[in-house]
Amino acid sequence: MSSLARSVRYLIPFAVSLATATVSAATSPRQQWHTDIGQGYQQLAGSAHDLEQAANSYCNTPSDNGRRQLESAWRAAFLNWQAARFVDFGPIEQDSRAWQLQFWPDHKNLVARKVRYALKRDKAVDADFVSQAGVALQGFPAIEYLLYDADMQSGERALPAERTCRLLQTVSHHLANTTDALASDWQAFGDYYRSMDEYTGKTVAAAINGLEILQDKRLAAPMGVRPPHKRNKYLGDAWRSETSVAAMRASIAGFQQYLVPGLTRLLNEAGKPELAGKLVEQTDSTLAKADSLPDAMAPNLETDEGYRQLQSLFIEVIQLEQVVEDRIAPALGITRGFNASDGD
Amino acid sequence: MGARFPIQALTVAITAPIALAACSSLQGTSGSAEPATPAGAVENYTDIAHATYQDALISARALDEATDAFIAHPGEQTLAAARQAWLASRVPYQQSEVFRFGNAIVDDWEGQLNAWPLDEGLIDYVDTSDYQHELGNAGATVNIIASQSITIGGETIDVSSLTSGLLADLNEIGGSEANVATGYHAIEFLLWGQDLHGFDAGNGERPYTDYVQGEGCSHGHCDRRAAYLDAITDLLVSDLEWMTAQWAPGSSDNYRAELLAMEPSAAIQKMLFGMGSLSLGELAGERMKVALEANSYEDEHDCFSDNTHNSHYYDAKGIQNVYLGRYTRIDGRTVSGPSLSDLVAQQDPALDSQLRNELAATMDAVQTLKDAAENQDHPMPFDMMIAPGNARGAELVSTAITALVTQTGEIEKASETLGIQSMKPDDAGHTF
Repeated sequence: MSSLARSVRYLIPFAVSLATATVSAATSPRQQWHTDIGQGYQQLAGSAHDLEQAANSYCNTPSDNGRRQLESAWRAAFLNWQAARFVDFGPIEQDSRAWQLQFWPDHKNLVARKVRYALKRDKAVDADFVSQAGVALQGFPAIEYLLYDADMQSGERALPAERTCRLLQTVSHHLANTTDALASDWQAFGDYYRSMDEYTGKTVAAAINGLEILQDKRLAAPMGVRPPHKRNKYLGDAWRSETSVAAMRASIAGFQQYLVPGLTRLLNEAGKPELAGKLVEQTDSTLAKADSLPDAMAPNLETDEGYRQLQSLFIEVIQLEQVVEDRIAPALGITRGFNASDGD
Repeated sequence: MGARFPIQALTVAITAPIALAACSSLQGTSGSAEPATPAGAVENYTDIAHATYQDALISARALDEATDAFIAHPGEQTLAAARQAWLASRVPYQQSEVFRFGNAIVDDWEGQLNAWPLDEGLIDYVDTSDYQHELGNAGATVNIIASQSITIGGETIDVSSLTSGLLADLNEIGGSEANVATGYHAIEFLLWGQDLHGFDAGNGERPYTDYVQGEGCSHGHCDRRAAYLDAITDLLVSDLEWMTAQWAPGSSDNYRAELLAMEPSAAIQKMLFGMGSLSLGELAGERMKVALEANSYEDEHDCFSDNTHNSHYYDAKGIQNVYLGRYTRIDGRTVSGPSLSDLVAQQDPALDSQLRNELAATMDAVQTLKDAAENQDHPMPFDMMIAPGNARGAELVSTAITALVTQTGEIEKASETLGIQSMKPDDAGHTF
């Protein structure tokens, strides 16, 4: 079972779920997507507020228990972001919000550099500073660094040191604001999204791009699939918190939860129920594979058996991507344009 | 066009004003009465690619000569001349980047020439207090110049003799893309050194004495540093010779012949794919937006020399060249013929005019960037533009990003108009 499905706190309001369930015939695919993605953003915003609160409680009264709650709040919010991460259009595009939430890939270890600089400098760490400091300091990876980076866990700067706490709280606050704005802007975006036919193609293309990034950047790169076949856990996301695979699992679960229902609807409307069935089946199977793997990627990179597990996941993700890109998109007459990851 | 220039002509060519022959026709038409055909546009594309690589080769030879002269007589003037030759060599090469995406033969080859960003500690000494390298890169600090043998990831390699072949083999050693031992940026590092100024004014300040042999040598190993620079400038020339030959007319078994033998629509897809990918993902995204939004001077393209504005400018120029089917060579002559612009205009003149305007708007935006960076009194190079709190700098970069994003949308429309169904690269297996 995916971590998303386990999350009970931010269940959709009853009325909304009832409405979605009962008006099936009248609901358009884009309406479905708007509702589902909106739920994803609501969950993200809710858990980002929990994170901010956990940071405040821990910093006000540090305790082991508070620290555990803080880490689990970070994880819950981070995974909620992974679930909705494939959406690359609409309000997420404003002010580089996707990067504000997660600056990645971080080839030059910029997150570490920015956090260290923030902790070292003389001036106050306040909201202004964080909003001016660039995306590497504004999101989940910066907090992850404070919570999990090996060098940060000892010495005078380790949490709950005063300045480090202030940075933690300020970044958490920034993150909560970003996700709030994202969720409410998505609601405001609804009429436009529903009225513009081109968003059908954009939504499907976003799903394909998300799967490609998952396959190529989040899996193939750390696995060293390409020559010269060097495995490098640092190329995955969230390696510091050892949640690289958990994050992928959440992205696949998010695909299932926020993308598949609308796409199934679209395929059925287009008279392609067999493709809808194939989509559901392949999504289930990909998610099941992800569920069978541990949260961290690094240990699996070190053993042959572990590596084979990652390879199976990699193949599952490729198959899912192929169903959407090579079968569904052409059947629906959806062509892809350029996307931001066309470079190298 | 297949004419080769004598080496002596180079310096003249490089210093000649580029705008000389650029004013005849801005419509991008061949001037011939015959309507343009897809096959004609593809052939002209190969002509432009050939001329661009030939210019890159000519200016790489000039760079090779200038570095030879610097190595033979290290001094302020010979170093300045070598740096000047490097800057000039970037002008045609960056215009060739538009051929990279879509043409797998270029993409597979270019890493040895233009890979970036690099962990320069692989090559030579660095100031470790301000050196951020790729995580997990075991090669990031090995310093080939100071070593007779290096060990990366359990593998020990004899580097006592610094040959082109050895250094080419060291690219991506240990499996890290940041291990760049050869190419323009390795040469740039050996001429300028690390830029330790961060967001402040100034670029790399490598002293010429790093190449003085015997007494007076700074930072040690000056003989090996000279041998290294010599080897990689030679390699650059031979790599460009190879690619120029791939696009040369009159051969039946090079890439040009392969491209001309294809369905014209397949080649046209490559042309458009190259334009759009460079425009959006690579230039607007990787090279500008990441650097700007993260305020990361580590993500600056030509970080040692602070020539990033020109790299961006000539990348954008290359995109425009392909659409208009026209290239102005470094000696001022123009290569032009049937173009994508002609083909689009036959179907949808308004779209063609819109796209031409947007390409021109992008050129205006990158020109403004270039002017700000090269301003005599208050230069603001790219690493200063992206500094936190530099509102004007951020606006300059954002304007260029927006123009590139906008033109990519129009490139997609042009693709549809020309009946190109998908902008997915056709070399599917190539991504890994």
